[in-house]
Amino acid sequence: MYLKMFVLSGSALILWLAPLTALDKRIGWHKAIQGLSLGAAIACAVSAGNIARKLADENEIEEIKTRAITADVVDEIATSAYVSQSQRQQEAEIILASPMEIEAKREALEALCSENFQPETTANTSDKDARDLELWWKVEAAQIEGKTQTWIIENIFKMKGRKFAEGKAQLAELLRRFGDA
Amino acid sequence: MRAMYLANYFIAGCIASSLLGWIASLHPMAMRAIAFLATATFILWGLCWLLDFSVSSLLKISVQNLQALLMAGLAVSIIGVGVFLCT
Repeated sequence: MYLKMFVLSGSALILWLAPLTALDKRIGWHKAIQGLSLGAAIACAVSAGNIARKLADENEIEEIKTRAITADVVDEIATSAYVSQSQRQQEAEIILASPMEIEAKREALEALCSENFQPETTANTSDKDARDLELWWKVEAAQIEGKTQTWIIENIFKMKGRKFAEGKAQLAELLRRFGDA
Repeated sequence: MRAMYLANYFIAGCIASSLLGWIASLHPMAMRAIAFLATATFILWGLCWLLDFSVSSLLKISVQNLQALLMAGLAVSIIGVGVFLCT
């Protein structure tokens, strides 16, 4: 598509300028050739413009899709964080309302808090999961559109050339983790 | 890509004005017809500048876009006719 557009644009420019400058005016049919080439040049330029507009619209749609997927992932993470927080709050309220000794309540709340603030590894794991999930959604959207594995690895994972094998492995891993669900 | 498509339409406009110049060069009557068309277009262009707010609301585009279109139209005609006359 890009190649076609560039070829048409180039042809339009050549068909516009070449007959006007290069043709000898003493030749009898130079006017006819000029008219023909100008008409063809307009057709080429308009076709190239239409293709470019189509490509621009497609790019815009892709950007909107990416933004929507990112917003979905962020929303899902925020919702799960909110649910987890309210669950812990409920647990804390239940502990406070229960007829236990103050010391026992304190220990139970401390245990709950230490669960709440686990080491960073948990956070890192969930970050990685979120990234993987986001990638998986993009992969799934591309698969629905009928894109090939190579396209997915090169355009979604951004792994070309030497990194292609690594990307292939990453795709296989994603398919294994989320593909069956 | 948006720039590419605007550039292509711009070039199409330039070629179209060259084509009008070519038609004008064919016969004195064609020259008169094209001159009349060019004058009418120029008057319309001037009116669009004077009534830019009304015209932009009529076409449902912003005033900046209308002014950009008018400038592009002028550039297209000058370049197209200039290329035709200079070659």
